[in-house]
Amino acid sequence: MMNSSILLEINNLSVSYPLAKQEDEDDAVDFFALKNISITVNAGQIVGVVGESGAGKSTIGKAILGLLDPRAVVNSGQILMQNKDLLSSTESALETLRGRQIGYIYQNPMTALNPVLTIGEQVIEAIEANTDMAGAKAKAYAIKLLQQADVSMAEDRLSKYPHQLSGGLCQRIVFAIAIAAKPQLIIADEPTTALDVTVQKSVLETLLKLSRRNNVAVILITHDMGVVAEMCEYLYVLRHGQHVEQAPTATLINHPKHAYSQALMASVPRIEKRIERFVLPQAEQATIANAALEYLLDKQVDTDVAEVPVLEVKRLAKIFTTPASLFKPKQDFCAVKDVSFQVHKGETVGIVGESGSGKSTIGRLILGLHEITEGQVIYRGQNLATLTDPKDRRDLCLSMQCIFQDPYSSLNPRMTAGENITYGLKVHGLIGAHQAKRLAQDLMQLVGLQPLDSDKMPNAFSGGERQRIGIARALGYKPDFIFCDEPTSALDVSVQAELLNLLKDLQQQLDLTLLFVSHDLAVIRQMCDRVIVMKDGEALEQGDNDAIFEQPQHPYTKQLLSSMPRLTQLQ
Amino acid sequence: MPMSTIKRMSNILWHQYKTIFAHYPLALMGLVGVGLFILVALLAPWIAPQNPYDLMTLDIMDGLLPPMSKLGTGTTAWLGTDAVGRDILSTVMYGLRISLFVAFSAVIVGTILGVLLGLLAALKGGWIETIIMRAVDLKVSFPGILLALMLLAMFGTGVDKVIYALIIGTWASKARLTRSSALSEMQKEYIDAARLAGLANWRIMLRFLLPNSIAPVLVMLPMSLSGAIGAEATLSFLGVGVPITEPSLGLLIANGNDYLLSGKWWISIVPGLVLVALVLCINVVADRIREHNNPFLQPRG
Amino acid sequence: MLIYIAKRMWQSLILAFIMSLIVFMGMFVVGDPVEMLADEDFTEQDKIDLAIELGLDKPLYEQYFTFAGNILQGDFGVSYVHNRPVLELIIERLPATLEIALLAMFIGLSIGIPMGIYSGIKSSSKPSRLISFLTTVGYSIPNFWQALLLILVFAVFLKWLPASGRGDTNPLFGIEWSLLSIDGLRHMALPAINLAIYKICMQTRLAKSGTQEVLYQEYMTFARAKGISKQRIIRRHLLRNILIPIVTITGLEVGGLIAFSTVTETVFAWPGIGKLLLDSIHMVDRPVVVAYLILITLMFVFINFVVDVLYAILDPRIRYQK
Repeated sequence: MMNSSILLEINNLSVSYPLAKQEDEDDAVDFFALKNISITVNAGQIVGVVGESGAGKSTIGKAILGLLDPRAVVNSGQILMQNKDLLSSTESALETLRGRQIGYIYQNPMTALNPVLTIGEQVIEAIEANTDMAGAKAKAYAIKLLQQADVSMAEDRLSKYPHQLSGGLCQRIVFAIAIAAKPQLIIADEPTTALDVTVQKSVLETLLKLSRRNNVAVILITHDMGVVAEMCEYLYVLRHGQHVEQAPTATLINHPKHAYSQALMASVPRIEKRIERFVLPQAEQATIANAALEYLLDKQVDTDVAEVPVLEVKRLAKIFTTPASLFKPKQDFCAVKDVSFQVHKGETVGIVGESGSGKSTIGRLILGLHEITEGQVIYRGQNLATLTDPKDRRDLCLSMQCIFQDPYSSLNPRMTAGENITYGLKVHGLIGAHQAKRLAQDLMQLVGLQPLDSDKMPNAFSGGERQRIGIARALGYKPDFIFCDEPTSALDVSVQAELLNLLKDLQQQLDLTLLFVSHDLAVIRQMCDRVIVMKDGEALEQGDNDAIFEQPQHPYTKQLLSSMPRLTQLQ
Repeated sequence: MPMSTIKRMSNILWHQYKTIFAHYPLALMGLVGVGLFILVALLAPWIAPQNPYDLMTLDIMDGLLPPMSKLGTGTTAWLGTDAVGRDILSTVMYGLRISLFVAFSAVIVGTILGVLLGLLAALKGGWIETIIMRAVDLKVSFPGILLALMLLAMFGTGVDKVIYALIIGTWASKARLTRSSALSEMQKEYIDAARLAGLANWRIMLRFLLPNSIAPVLVMLPMSLSGAIGAEATLSFLGVGVPITEPSLGLLIANGNDYLLSGKWWISIVPGLVLVALVLCINVVADRIREHNNPFLQPRG
Repeated sequence: MLIYIAKRMWQSLILAFIMSLIVFMGMFVVGDPVEMLADEDFTEQDKIDLAIELGLDKPLYEQYFTFAGNILQGDFGVSYVHNRPVLELIIERLPATLEIALLAMFIGLSIGIPMGIYSGIKSSSKPSRLISFLTTVGYSIPNFWQALLLILVFAVFLKWLPASGRGDTNPLFGIEWSLLSIDGLRHMALPAINLAIYKICMQTRLAKSGTQEVLYQEYMTFARAKGISKQRIIRRHLLRNILIPIVTITGLEVGGLIAFSTVTETVFAWPGIGKLLLDSIHMVDRPVVVAYLILITLMFVFINFVVDVLYAILDPRIRYQK
């Protein structure tokens, strides 16, 4: 049934963003978003375009539809849709093409839909613009479309507004709009990145179904190797706007030829098997003797408490209350329900769950960033809530630190990297101003940064580098316990692998105790000794890494595991 | 402050200046204009041809002379004289001084007050926030000029009273802006990190929240300044602003108003033109700064 | 939606209460009415009698209740200067203020919004740059001085339009309107233009910044990706969204207009409530000032309430909030 006629052909496409010359006269080099990219899509074929951030993936989709930013310049190339060049088409020709022949699916369904128009208005508008249907006929067709996109209670949804529906439903509505005029091609730009893994699976299944039924070709643009492995027949790998490698999916994933593709594949955390470290080409273990190590290892060890767990959480619960007003009774939202677990010296405990599962809230309760509603947190044998001596309390609190999720908001933008690392230490008089500078540099070196960069402001660093600064800051307090709150979820997969390797190395050298929260099962699989599975504030299951991943007991755990896109399904 | 910090600050300022004003001749002209006006206001006692409030130097015989006339003392009144023989150029220079003094004092005090209250509301929450923000709502729902009129009607007039009235007109919008940007900063993880570092609230407020949430307020400052200048001029024109002994530009315009219809236009028009030029210069700069800081106009990608 | 309206109404009532309290405190506690009313030959006993007569010997809260009670019954006292009930004075002059304010608003909206949307969409074109420079200039000219210039040019030099007064009026619903006579319209022209210039600049800027903000939203690009024509996108997706900030600010600006009409009315000797207020301030006619303040406050509270309701009608995110 495969129709192998060529539907879309991109030849040597280059797109650049001329930099405004006034900013810095010296290095006003045009920024190339795409350089000599060629892509071929056959009718009905699902083609994947993968790459990390800055690879120029989204520019391809926008270029096809003629929706490039007004500043962008097409330097060369052709985009042939059924042998008609789109780049030389007029705007009105493109207008008829959009929606009719090519549908588009955006990354974030919540922002792609207009917040002040109803779903019905937006779906019917697309139907009326691209087909002959109007009025009641268009409405009936809209309901049919929503049903095809697996939207439950389709008729009812037409009168709703986007903010009243979940992200998954909104994305299905975007699907329905995209297929309204039965286009031959759909461009899907990171269609599931904003969604939870269980929702992602069913949304992708819908996309696959729609594509098969109408023989629609799909260009799937994503950073997620798992998703392309499950969806695509053919892959293109891009990096910095340049073509790296192209091959059928199975070939590319199992036998990548180009060094970058090889590194990329090695960086993808696998769920099947736990490995020591990610095998990255240029990665060597950071065992250089470092002055910071001396500082970090120089602390009193309470031998008597070595036996008890570092952290014990007993029947912890958190209820967020919206206070009552004249017109509304008070509302309770139970974020964490009756969760208990222990963390022992030197181990990593993982908490995995989807958004809203309460996994981060637990960490914040332990760290004292939220008030505990019920239950106890016993840290190094002491209950923090009942500790009264301010100095003891401070010392205990300082020895619990956190590595945060968002590298772009976890550093004070108005302090240098070094200040960020040592400011608190100086305020508490734990080190002098003179030592502070030295320590900041040593710590920077320990986490794999240039020591002299400690004078730079945070905005001079990349996301991965900022996370390293965040780690250095946490280490400065000689912590006994570190809460890692999705520390790699905002990072590219290759950067993630490097960072996870660093965390593993540091843990080995410093005997760190970690509580590691993530939505990504594969990362948890690689990082943790024991795992807790959470949903809606409850701990559904906990156990050893192998036990959870190989013999899950709870149905939800099984569902999570089966939703995870896997690279191995191809074999 | 160590040398390195000063150097860094000046580098940042220079860079800011370059990205905001280079290649925008209109805004640059505005900036130069503002600078000149401030300079004239500061130096008025030394560069004005005459001290218009020293009764000894005035001669009623010199009254109502048109521009370019020779005075009794032999000097030329380039821009004419008013009813009691004061040199208009000198009165305008002194008037500029008073207008700018009133506006600057009001905006600076009002901004500091507003920013602190806004930070406090964001950081403390609870009833403190409720009270501050209700007061802001109350103030914002009431036009500033009317409020100032009422206050001046209640408390009487005078330079200090005008400044108070303008402060009351300024603080609320700053407090609201600071609070909302501080609240969004508080969501960020570096604040949590500061809490984990066991830092005191005032330290978090001043060292973490303040520098990161002040930008929108700073962007608004030139606008507030020109607004305050205009408001003061309006109040003085209506006769409820500064006293006759310390005439600002607005009062000078009002003084000349009576002679306007009899053809002695310079008494009112000259201070008026200066006022418009001053406000325009500030607004041109303000527009450019706002445009530069508007995220929707930034180059993206 | 009903709950939302009820909530807003409740908040408005509280606001009105607090405002009346502030006015009361400001006008009755600060400054001593006895001193103000007393002649030079008043004895101490006369002053005490006067204080008792005015009810100043009673506790503060009781005074407030009397004050609020009188207002609720529509009794704002009698003007010292005009010797007539204050409410009558104000109601008599209100139409004059309303008609120039509304005319100015109409001009401002009908010119400002299209101009703002145009310059927002074509933000780098020459006309758009010119518009934005002109609005800056319009913004920078103090209202009172602009009024003087208008008089100088159109009344003194060109002698096209009258500089002051209200001209002939014609009745409608028992109220006299200048809008309904040619002479009245000629008299209205300058004050209304003076108010409108500021309004136009304001609306242009607002519509422009609103347009630019909405223009860069993803749903705008998505609407194009859906294959919808540009005109339709502007009509539906853009307008519906920028209407929200425009309605809000316009509503709040009604207050600004009435405040600024104080200045305009003074310069053009337009017999509205703004001029009444200023004259009363100069003549220390306290009942008039208090009444003006209270009425204006109530009006603001009402306008805010209406704006909030409109806001909810336009923005489903608020209408359907739980």
